[in-house]
Amino acid sequence: MIQKVLIANRGEIALRIIAACRELGLSTVAVFSEADRDSQHVRMADEAVCIGPPFSKASYLNVTAVISAAEITGADAIHPGYGFLAENAAFAEVVEECGLTWVGPPPSAIRLMGDKATARRTVAQRGVPVLPGSATPLTSREEAVRLAYEVGFPVILKASAGGGGKGMRVAADERELRHCFDTARHEAERAFGVADVYLEKYLTAPRHIEIQVMADSFGRVIALGERECSIQRRHQKLIEEAPSPVVTEELRRQMCDAAAAAAEAVGYRSAGTVEFLYDDGKFYFMEMNTRIQVEHPVTEEVTGLDLVVEQLAVASGQPLSFRRRPKISGHAIEFRINAEDPVTFAPSPGQITELALPVGPGVRLETHIYAGYRVPPYYDSLVAKLIVRGRDRAEAITRSRRALSMFRVGGIKTSIPLHQRILQDPDFQEGRLSTRFMERFAPPAS
Amino acid sequence: MFTFEELCQLIRVVSESRVGGVELERDGSRLRIDGVPMPPAVTGTPLLPPSVAAAPPLAFPALAPTVASPAPAAAPRSTSEAEEDDSSLTFVTSPIVGTFYRAPNPDAEPYVKVGDHVEKGQVLCIVEAMKLMNEIESDVSGTVAKIYPENGQPVEFGERLFAIRP
Repeated sequence: MIQKVLIANRGEIALRIIAACRELGLSTVAVFSEADRDSQHVRMADEAVCIGPPFSKASYLNVTAVISAAEITGADAIHPGYGFLAENAAFAEVVEECGLTWVGPPPSAIRLMGDKATARRTVAQRGVPVLPGSATPLTSREEAVRLAYEVGFPVILKASAGGGGKGMRVAADERELRHCFDTARHEAERAFGVADVYLEKYLTAPRHIEIQVMADSFGRVIALGERECSIQRRHQKLIEEAPSPVVTEELRRQMCDAAAAAAEAVGYRSAGTVEFLYDDGKFYFMEMNTRIQVEHPVTEEVTGLDLVVEQLAVASGQPLSFRRRPKISGHAIEFRINAEDPVTFAPSPGQITELALPVGPGVRLETHIYAGYRVPPYYDSLVAKLIVRGRDRAEAITRSRRALSMFRVGGIKTSIPLHQRILQDPDFQEGRLSTRFMERFAPPAS
Repeated sequence: MFTFEELCQLIRVVSESRVGGVELERDGSRLRIDGVPMPPAVTGTPLLPPSVAAAPPLAFPALAPTVASPAPAAAPRSTSEAEEDDSSLTFVTSPIVGTFYRAPNPDAEPYVKVGDHVEKGQVLCIVEAMKLMNEIESDVSGTVAKIYPENGQPVEFGERLFAIRP
């Protein structure tokens, strides 16, 4: 049984985990870098330990420091949140070898899903649809060309060890493919230490639709329905919503079955997300994220569940609190409020001089900022998540407009004005979305 | 005595692993091999490479089931004491999170006491992190003016350990 949880993270997710621990009566230990001494998670946790200097490599990514902080505080579990060490299988192993409880999936599942080519092959064997492409890493340029003609251009080269958009190359024809084959391998090697790349058919304007799954130690794997995350820029999501405007109950059942099969294929436990690309009525496995995700509150709002509480319960050896896929009720939209220029997307760290928070029906806020807080330049730019709920999509959009108009952050630039512009877009209002939607607000990634 | 082969093997094992070092005693002869260089006194170099993603699995000993004393919450450092306002003092801070020990082992004399003269590079204490004993050296020569933590107390990164009057 878990008593004291160390949260190996910062920002809004650290607070979110503290909130769940408090409800369960668990004590909490925050860790922080010197740049985060004045952070909310440091103030809210029962104990806090400074683990290093500002740069995350020496603090939030420093395995020895995090484990040592657990040791000196007597914490018996570690929740990694998202990012930082969350999908580091070696770290998860160290946690378990030190006799601590890892609030996450088995390290073997993290490792399997972390290698994208292996993940693709593993889930395909369980009948999960994947895009046509290579079953194993490509051995030569000629093999890539032959395969590309087989599946049809355009094609995309992806790093086996990749993720988050790094090491990807799109080729419209044979000449481009020949040209970018070596570049993609070099980029993969530089970014991930492994040059292996594989090839898939490239969809030009798909939707990104993902399925939340939860699994316990008793073999129960339940898919909780979808989130539509097509509004993204450079593979960074900006707006997520549930349910998706295009997912019917029949499609939801198929996607949930596929996601559960993918999770079962790697012996999954805890919270995870299976990401699919959707195009023209069909869906294809993209990858599985073996952690709680930024956008998990969207699913919580339409299912009534608390996914972080479920994670902690599962880590304590308890079964999930529900036996079957919950009914989806209402509509929820999440807006990621980043400390960045809403037009140029340049980061905008600095001191928050004034803060007015949105209130009223349907509003949920996940944030660590306060008036006077200084957004440090060392970490990602997410400063708040605004989650708005309505009985249907139209009501959720109306409430979102109202909530965003009440949300004032002074002293730094934020993406609030960008979200307001997106809400005015007729295609957004009609639910006509694709991963290329944001190109109309900003030039595509060069 | 240790044979040459045994020595070579030990050195190889220590240099390939990530342990700070080993100390062995056999038939009255003592041997000590230091592995990863100890972090400098104040710069806070992590013991492990920052990313362990590509590193081989690490084998750490299991932690002791209980921890003697809880860590204090990040309390603001007291500035009321006279020494701390003295701009002539140099502070040695902890380069890592861990447990502070004033002596190399429970039966030994402390490395230093208040009033002792210390040379630059002299070992002042040990901070233990994940069963690795990290010797913390003085980065100045001078007199020990104050020792902040108690023996066996948990310390944070950047926490003041010693005040030295150069």
